[in-house]
Amino acid sequence: MSEYVVEMKDIVKDFGEVHAVKDGQFTLKKGEIHSLIGENGAGKSTMMKLLYGMYPITAGEIYINGEHMTKLDPKIAINHGIGMVHQEFMLVNELTVLENVILGFEPVKGMTIDFDKARKDIQHYIDRYNMEIQLDKKVSQISVGEAQRVEIIKTLMRGAEIIILDEPTAVLTPQETGKLFEILFNLKAEGKSLVFISHKLNEVMTISDRISVMRQGTYMGTVNKEETSPLDLTKKMIGREVFLNIEKDYSKAGEKILEVKDVWIPSQKESSKIRGMSLYVRAGEIVGIAGIDGNGQSELIEAITGLRRVEKGSVILNGKDITNKTPRRIRETGLAHIPEDRNTRGLNRTMSIEDNLVAVELDKKPFTSGIFMNVSEQDKYADHMVKEFDIRPADYKLPTSSLSGGNAQKVVVAREVSMNKPLLVASQPTRGVDIGAIESIRNTLEKAKKSGAGVLLVSAELEEIISLSDRIIVIHEGKITGEMPAGEANENNLGLLMMGADDQVETDKEGEKCHE
Amino acid sequence: MSNSLNGAVKILITLALALGIGAIFILAIGQSPVEAYGALVKGALGTKLGIGNTIAQFTPLLLTSIAFAVAASAGAFNVGVEGEVILGGITAAYIGINWGFLPVPLLYLACFLGAMAVAAAWAYIPAALKAYFNVSEVCVTILMNTVALYIGSYLVSGPMSAGTATPQSDPVLVTIPKIMKPSSANAGVFIAIAAVLVVIFIVYKTKWGYKLRTVGTNPTHADYVGINSKKVFINAMLLSGMLGGMAGCIEVLGVHGYYLDNFAKDLGTNGMLAALIVKSNMLFTPFIAFFLAVLKAGSMAMQQATDVPKSIVDTVSAIFIIIATMEFVVSLGKRRKMEHEAKAVANIGSKKPDDKKTGKEESK
Repeated sequence: MSEYVVEMKDIVKDFGEVHAVKDGQFTLKKGEIHSLIGENGAGKSTMMKLLYGMYPITAGEIYINGEHMTKLDPKIAINHGIGMVHQEFMLVNELTVLENVILGFEPVKGMTIDFDKARKDIQHYIDRYNMEIQLDKKVSQISVGEAQRVEIIKTLMRGAEIIILDEPTAVLTPQETGKLFEILFNLKAEGKSLVFISHKLNEVMTISDRISVMRQGTYMGTVNKEETSPLDLTKKMIGREVFLNIEKDYSKAGEKILEVKDVWIPSQKESSKIRGMSLYVRAGEIVGIAGIDGNGQSELIEAITGLRRVEKGSVILNGKDITNKTPRRIRETGLAHIPEDRNTRGLNRTMSIEDNLVAVELDKKPFTSGIFMNVSEQDKYADHMVKEFDIRPADYKLPTSSLSGGNAQKVVVAREVSMNKPLLVASQPTRGVDIGAIESIRNTLEKAKKSGAGVLLVSAELEEIISLSDRIIVIHEGKITGEMPAGEANENNLGLLMMGADDQVETDKEGEKCHE
Repeated sequence: MSNSLNGAVKILITLALALGIGAIFILAIGQSPVEAYGALVKGALGTKLGIGNTIAQFTPLLLTSIAFAVAASAGAFNVGVEGEVILGGITAAYIGINWGFLPVPLLYLACFLGAMAVAAAWAYIPAALKAYFNVSEVCVTILMNTVALYIGSYLVSGPMSAGTATPQSDPVLVTIPKIMKPSSANAGVFIAIAAVLVVIFIVYKTKWGYKLRTVGTNPTHADYVGINSKKVFINAMLLSGMLGGMAGCIEVLGVHGYYLDNFAKDLGTNGMLAALIVKSNMLFTPFIAFFLAVLKAGSMAMQQATDVPKSIVDTVSAIFIIIATMEFVVSLGKRRKMEHEAKAVANIGSKKPDDKKTGKEESK
């Protein structure tokens, strides 16, 4: 038997025309934490989904505990001690944590489920790894961090010795991430082998024993943590150096472009999710809004852009009251908006790149004349935009559904930024796009600011908020918990504010995102 | 272009399958499918009367199918076309009987406009309920069809009755000339074709159509770029209603010359079938409508010439729609092709990934 619990050799995986993995290599030693890093679309998640048996491999060999797996599906994988914590949690919101953990593996006593035994079994793991989990809460009521711990417990309950974590920190605050790492170290100490998928280099450098890099579906090599550096890893990941830290010039903030005065905004489920929020954005500055997902960012942005009704308070854009005006009116008053969800909101995926590029200004000359669309003008414009923003492929008649995440986002950014509106609202502008696109999108935002636009930036990536913003506003549960110049911000003080701590109160308590 | 070609091939495969399964049924009752289908085609297209019958069937189907397809392209599932046909018909009849004070050309116009206006108003109800109160337009339109049916029945049995044994109205003062007597094919077919061409043009070439398609494919995106998805949704339903009303008007003025109770039976449903078979693709819908018309028109001849009951035709169109909506024929083929390619790539490419094919290399 070899020293590896998992060996993946010469893996190829195609999805139709798309070569998701071209040359995948991966090994996992017992009791190590092995990070798999790469840009989005590099094939790291795919590799691990192959190992978990979610798709069949096209070519290559997979060995688990030395056994050559000729056939693999999640059931077989679980039986071989593999567990996976997916990026999107696979939990049933309306069931309790306890029910979720035993779902599909319920211990039975006669005809009924033996909840007592289940509870005891789960408690055993909770104590052993020092996890905080409330077994009787519904999943919809627990925080993201806790849901993730539930996922980990689930894999343990099914006897996992090898646990794959797919971008586990993407949804966590720095504090929650710290907590997760403690658990992972505990698991490692118990002899479990862990695969940690990420593209955040600082985390990878903290937690890993070994690090494997993938780029465009191809294995780029494995290094021990001690022998590498973030810079080195970046180069391996993208094949060149990247400059994400953009030079900031915060001298020329001008007049207030956007003013939000004491607004109250409902969410889908509850009224008054945002309770009395006030903020402003000046011309020539980037204001970043930091906060854990779901604390009112989306509602705030939708209210400003006219996609959600405001209960009370007012929104003033360019000196004009735009409270509860239609999106069209607000856009005409001077707003461009990069929405957080490019696939359903930002783009119409069934339509072409060109159609999407002209969507907002379609009604205006030169894109229409009379009631007809002026296709040749649209072609000209699309051609220009595709070149200027380096959208690939450059065939602007293709549907946007065929684009990669980064290029799809470039279409949205191109459309919104090129209108040169005085206010640019950018919500999660770089979520799920590769590093090359991140760099170009960040530069575009910076350029918009330099040209005198006010930019309101919402991002779940603290690093992005800190490096781009001039001023940072932190929100928690629909309220502003702090505001500071970017120079004073770091992951620690922002993280505390994101969990609702006041400036003065020192606390290291876990931020629960529960109901009131 | 190759996309629509692909679509056409797919429809033909589905069609062949449906006819094939229909043939099995015909065999099962001890008849020859070749003979039966032959008689059907001959009955529908082989004689002047047959062609006339086919055109007569085709005219309302063309309008109702496009009516459904227009609504569908804005995301509405408008089951209510039938009700719109009925109300359009009764309105055309009312105007055609009572507005004799108008000069003839204007009377024609009034019949059409009146029918379209009333039908559109009828369609407005489910549209507004859906847009502003999120009430399922499917439920509302199904229910409203029954209401429309009884409104029509009431009017021709009571206030508008000609006093005959069958519930029907007095004859209208203006009729659309028949073009292939003795069949009931009439010049309305040209009006229908012209209307459909205009609608197709609007949907694919104007900014109004662009908005319609945007709302139909992604209403969230539409609202975000500043298109009022509710308004567009309602407009699409209005247009759908107008087409239904037009169909009713043509039936009353062209086929019957008076309002006949229950004249619209299945017109809406069959139009919906035609549109559903091609997923409301407006370029293909007319052809399917024509095909269904051929089936309908030929079925009687088939029943007379052979011992195959004409209900076999309903079986074939039912199978047709089941297969078409299942979409498994083509996806099966595609998967096989993909597996094939995957194997080929794996064989040559496992060691040496083909970089050019991915076209994703970093340029810098």
